[in-house]
Amino acid sequence: MLSVRDLTVSLGPETAPVDIVAGVSFELGKGEILGLVGESGCGKSMTSLAVMGLLPQPGPRIRAGRVLLEGCDVTQLQPWQRVVAGHGRMAMIFQEPMTSLNPVRRIGDQIAEAVRVHDRLSGPPAIDRARELLEQVRMPDPAMQLSAYPHQLSGGQRQRVMIAIALACRPQVLIADEPTTALDVTIQVQVLGLLRELCNRLDMAMLFITHDMGVIAQLADRVSVMYAGRIVETAGVEALFGRPRHHYTRGLMDCMPSRNSGARRLPTIAGQPPAPGTVGAGCVFASRCAAVRETCRTAAPPRAEVSQGHDVLCAFPLDGGEPR
Amino acid sequence: MNGNAVLDVRDLKVSFSVRRAGRKYQVRAVDGVSLSLAEGEVLGIVGESGCGKTTVGRSIVGLVRPDSGTISFKGTDMTGASLRDMRLNIRMVFQDPYASLNPRRTIGDSVAEAGDINGFFTSRAGRSAAIAATLTAVGLDPSFAARYPYELSGGQRQRAGIARTILPSPSIVIADEPVSALDVSVQAQVLNLMMDLREQLRLSMLFISHDLGVIGQISNRVAVMYMGRIVEQAATRTVLDDPRHPYTRSLVAAIPKPDPSKRILGAIETGEPPSLFKRPRGCAYAPRCPIASDRCQVDVPELRSAGTDGRAIACHNV
Repeated sequence: MLSVRDLTVSLGPETAPVDIVAGVSFELGKGEILGLVGESGCGKSMTSLAVMGLLPQPGPRIRAGRVLLEGCDVTQLQPWQRVVAGHGRMAMIFQEPMTSLNPVRRIGDQIAEAVRVHDRLSGPPAIDRARELLEQVRMPDPAMQLSAYPHQLSGGQRQRVMIAIALACRPQVLIADEPTTALDVTIQVQVLGLLRELCNRLDMAMLFITHDMGVIAQLADRVSVMYAGRIVETAGVEALFGRPRHHYTRGLMDCMPSRNSGARRLPTIAGQPPAPGTVGAGCVFASRCAAVRETCRTAAPPRAEVSQGHDVLCAFPLDGGEPR
Repeated sequence: MNGNAVLDVRDLKVSFSVRRAGRKYQVRAVDGVSLSLAEGEVLGIVGESGCGKTTVGRSIVGLVRPDSGTISFKGTDMTGASLRDMRLNIRMVFQDPYASLNPRRTIGDSVAEAGDINGFFTSRAGRSAAIAATLTAVGLDPSFAARYPYELSGGQRQRAGIARTILPSPSIVIADEPVSALDVSVQAQVLNLMMDLREQLRLSMLFISHDLGVIGQISNRVAVMYMGRIVEQAATRTVLDDPRHPYTRSLVAAIPKPDPSKRILGAIETGEPPSLFKRPRGCAYAPRCPIASDRCQVDVPELRSAGTDGRAIACHNV
């Protein structure tokens, strides 16, 4: 459905580019949820914006790599060019729905706007379709809510409206960038349940971006862990949480309070991620890795498949024991 | 009242007047909260946005004026007491380390501010030594004293915020979402620091957070708030392992767990809190509650003791 190959996003001059996303590759199948997890600044949002064709201009640019939607290269197309070319069935939702919605327009009109673009409908049929979309996202009392303004809705309801707008293009791929981070947990679990249901029912693939390992574990089918612009580990969700192979993945899991209930101290990962542009020849995680060896500092680690569908960017993966 | 409580809050009520569509409304943010904090204890207050947990913290340090209720520190009522004395004893750590440090003052000046105002320092050398000692205590190099907030990472800023809080040796620290703005790996470092300081300085702490995982890590006891009231209060393990109030149950169930066997398989609809402008007549949780009865629609349940383990619950039906 969606295939991203060696995507590299860079800042700065052509002659001395700084890679903020460096050679990211992943595949996304029908109805599948791929979780992309990492801490602030690891490049997960930049990856999603590059895939959508929404990188801010001027600013970061795609320096190398391809984004294939159903086999068609859409890397260099603007979003409107994708719609015209018939590759517009990809949508995105963001963390803060209030900044994505127009505060002075009724939500019915805002959903109908997307319907107009994608279904070439207008007037009452467009509004009917908008109501139908609100029903799909399980908005209580959808006919009434069409005439509401964003400020009259709760945070969870606003995110449902954003999802309704995203569904207007009948997406094959939905990109969700921290869509529940601003919500309370009892609301978050409802939005996550809705997204899972929509993926199942509409056979829609989803790239779900978050910093929260708990959310990833409960929602994703497969998980990619990002660090300093690179995907350091990809695996099925059970394999990743059951037997993490990268030292960073392991560290992230260990420092979650909910994995340590009752422990007197939480394990931590020493130090901080490297600033973009300061990455040297070796492994990006070498400066913080507890199991670092001499070669890690000088040679880039290989990407190795440690088991079926489980690959890791590390020369000395956990539990694998011996260096290969 | 608890005999050895360092802080005792009785029946605290706070409301704000809000203007909406040309009309003035009184919104009750805190509606009769009582709690006490023993020496060396960490009491966690957990709840979702708008439940009043931050307002409770801000009332205790005098940033918000309560409508009614008493707040006593070591047995003396502080309502109307001098803020200056109180603020050396009861100090606050804020959520956003970007917003709570003055960008135009050095870290050292911000850390020393309470000492400067209260004449703690008799010499420049003494002041510098106190700053250096405090920065060291929070795990920052003393050279940070000369830096400005923009030069620090989020975790370092929150450490500076904590240094500013502990400089005058307070008895009580009110920490309002102190780790919510931090990445998980940094969050763990700051939580460890707070646990260490609590032990070394024998601090009592009110730890306010929306995150039950974080609360579970640091607190001895937990109070769960919903719509301005405490709905359940007990020892931390009791609340997390065996929640009884239906709201606490849904809150515990909703915590994202790093366990793929607990996967979300489809839609879950459990409703949303009512607007603070339209508080239900009876129990505020009744509209969402799976076990609500007729009585819950009209009669507000009081917090009452339930069981022998110090648990208290505000519910008619458990």
